[in-house]
Amino acid sequence: MIHRSLATLGIPAMVIAVGSMSMLMSQASQRARNAATDPQTKAATPSVPPPGAAAAKTSGFRTPWGDPDLQGVWNDATSTPLQRPTGVASKDVLNDAEAEEFQDQLAGHLSRDRRDGGSEVDANRAYNEHWMDARRLKITGDHRTSLIVDPEDGKIPPLVPLSAERQKQSDERAAALARFNAGMPNTYFDFELPIRCITRTDMPPYMPTIYNNDFQIVQSPGYVVIAPEMIHSARIIPLDGRPHVGKNLHLWLGDSRGHWDGNTLVLETTNFRPDSDIFRAADPATFRLTERLTRMDARTINYEYTVEDPHTWTRPWTVRIPWTRIDPAEQMYEYACHEDNYDESHFLMGARERERRGEVVQPIPHLPSVQ
Amino acid sequence: MRNRLLTITSACVTMGIAFAALALVLAAGQQAAAPQQTASQFGESSSLHALDAGQFPPYKPARMPDGHPDLNGYWQALVSADWDLQDHEAQPGPKPEINGVYGAGPAGQSIVEGGEIPYRPDALAKKKTNFETGAMVDVSSDKTWHNLGDPELKCYMPGVPRVNYLPYPFRIVQSAGPSSPYMLISYEFASATRIIRMNSKAEAPIPSWMGWSRGRWDGDTLVVDVTGFREETWFDRAGDYHSDQLHVVERYTPVSPFHLMYEATIEDPKVFTRPWKIRFPLYRRMEQNFQLLEFKCEPFTEEMLYGRFVKRPNP
Amino acid sequence: MKEMRMKASVGAVVAASLMLPFMGLVLPASAHHAFAAEYDAKKHVILKGTVTKMEWINPHAWIHIDVKKPDGSVEEWMIEFGTPNTLLRRGFTHDSLKPGTEITVDGYQAKDGALHANGRNVTLPDGKVLFAGSPVADAPYKDPGK
Repeated sequence: MIHRSLATLGIPAMVIAVGSMSMLMSQASQRARNAATDPQTKAATPSVPPPGAAAAKTSGFRTPWGDPDLQGVWNDATSTPLQRPTGVASKDVLNDAEAEEFQDQLAGHLSRDRRDGGSEVDANRAYNEHWMDARRLKITGDHRTSLIVDPEDGKIPPLVPLSAERQKQSDERAAALARFNAGMPNTYFDFELPIRCITRTDMPPYMPTIYNNDFQIVQSPGYVVIAPEMIHSARIIPLDGRPHVGKNLHLWLGDSRGHWDGNTLVLETTNFRPDSDIFRAADPATFRLTERLTRMDARTINYEYTVEDPHTWTRPWTVRIPWTRIDPAEQMYEYACHEDNYDESHFLMGARERERRGEVVQPIPHLPSVQ
Repeated sequence: MRNRLLTITSACVTMGIAFAALALVLAAGQQAAAPQQTASQFGESSSLHALDAGQFPPYKPARMPDGHPDLNGYWQALVSADWDLQDHEAQPGPKPEINGVYGAGPAGQSIVEGGEIPYRPDALAKKKTNFETGAMVDVSSDKTWHNLGDPELKCYMPGVPRVNYLPYPFRIVQSAGPSSPYMLISYEFASATRIIRMNSKAEAPIPSWMGWSRGRWDGDTLVVDVTGFREETWFDRAGDYHSDQLHVVERYTPVSPFHLMYEATIEDPKVFTRPWKIRFPLYRRMEQNFQLLEFKCEPFTEEMLYGRFVKRPNP
Repeated sequence: MKEMRMKASVGAVVAASLMLPFMGLVLPASAHHAFAAEYDAKKHVILKGTVTKMEWINPHAWIHIDVKKPDGSVEEWMIEFGTPNTLLRRGFTHDSLKPGTEITVDGYQAKDGALHANGRNVTLPDGKVLFAGSPVADAPYKDPGK
């Protein structure tokens, strides 16, 4: 009968129709969930704050997508020594009067404007203090006597004896340095990486130096990017938990991965080049580096790193350096290096000229220390 | 009773058909309104030829919290413009007797609007000289340090816009919010980095290799005004060049989830008779877990640049 | 008076307790460039010359000067300095040192005898140390002040 046929037709038709509609609707919401435009990140679309954002503790600085905000141009220059000087073994933090004295003594020692000490050290001071980073004559605001915070004595832990192979490498580097100090390099391999303009302050962990102690941080959903001024590189750090690159890929600056621990960005860096001069001549095969960056207030980031290498130090050690915001009044500028590196040819040409003249030059293991 | 059954049955069928029709309409409407259109849509429609014509259908990009299009991602050009911005045939490259195919370059069509770069007649000779000396170097004298050699050959930072059509990837890092009025572009080649100062009126303090970039939004297009260039950069291996008066205005427009359309207007009254434009797509790198690796090429150039000053025999 | 005595005693205590033999304990020597490697401590030079060009470049800025010798000949010297980025942040620009300016360079000549020296201390005719003060011109970067 017709009505039975129609019924037979109608109800399945309705089921199919309703079924299609709900399928379409769920496809639409799936598309919306997949609408992160950058397929490389698993970050949720920006309008949904990540879990834990509401529970953020100290720092109210947040990016619009809910990550702690580390952005800005930051400077890490300081006169506070890496290791606690002799005589203050029991004093890790100074009171105000002592801190002022400490800072004055350091500033007087470090100043490139001083002309005392003989011509060798005078020549090595190179040029005047105004060419240097003015903040490098200030101790850290917390008045510590060392940048090292662990171990408690503020000193680098005892060294592990080098393997025969590493001792050989160390001797070769020392011999190259002695030739360089004498102005008689054999080849460009006698230069350290900064002179060759391969890396400078951008090799982590970051340490203060005499100038251009600047870092620009820019964030995007799923990433933190740290751009040190020297040498114009940018460290792109994914936060999505992806693994490090394969063990046969090596980078001068290592391969970094980050994650948030509360308000702290924690960075793990691996895959350093085995032929590189990494931090304090550690062994690239066993060196482990963890860095932590925490936004403390409008003008300060707390930068800490822990280094560990059973082939170099008897135990891990940790350094803390405050970063101070300098923008917008000051900016980071391009630091081209290799492009106009006259010195690399001057050094080599000069050595060949002196050999041509028959000069006999003794290698110099150490030049007078200036900082 | 039979009438009521008939009525109900008819109503069900009608509703069923109506639901089905509605579902179809919604499906079509959803595909049209979706922020991301897929290639399968092109294949289904009569606009198949749109792919050949290099045209993109209208596209509404996903956005950052500040409402601007999200340009974050890893991007790379596929044109062979680094060999030559203009029409070029395949070529052997320097020292084919050593390098064979490894040093050779492919053919490519001009990315210059109108095809040709409008050189001033008196400026063309230098392009020719550049090309003839592009694979030579001599850093024995500081005075003539930059006279010879394509800067790319020497691993010098390549300047703008060349860095965007080198055959290497780069990442656009785009933030949002008042705490970061900057964008950053990080290039795999030579680890070159550009800071884009958004809505800035600051002028370039000194010339730089990658120029001084100031960005703003023009609708969904990122416009970057670049000035303050070092004059030593080139546009390509064919020797196309500029002076210290170079002024570049770039436009980055998202045209699909996987493409940006890149345009640059190049102006330099010392070298060219008028401003001219280049245009090509940038492609999103889609490999899983893609990232920039390093192409720190300085060590590849030291023997070429400084080898003649090295102690021989090398102890 | 009381404050002075207190300060003196604090200073004495601090000096005694801090005992700063700094060698090797301060910032680790990042050997960007040990100038005594290239320049000869035994070749101290004082050069009076006219600036012909300043190269605001990294890794080192260079000032080119023409130095007139007693016999009337002119020597072209290159003087090496630090990174210009530091000066830029203090407000100097690449127009800050004009060609034609007279300067006196107190430095050390290159070991190979080339006409290169490091600019250990450079003064203008009025005695001011070059680039030591603040520039007269506006700073090169202003907050756009949106």
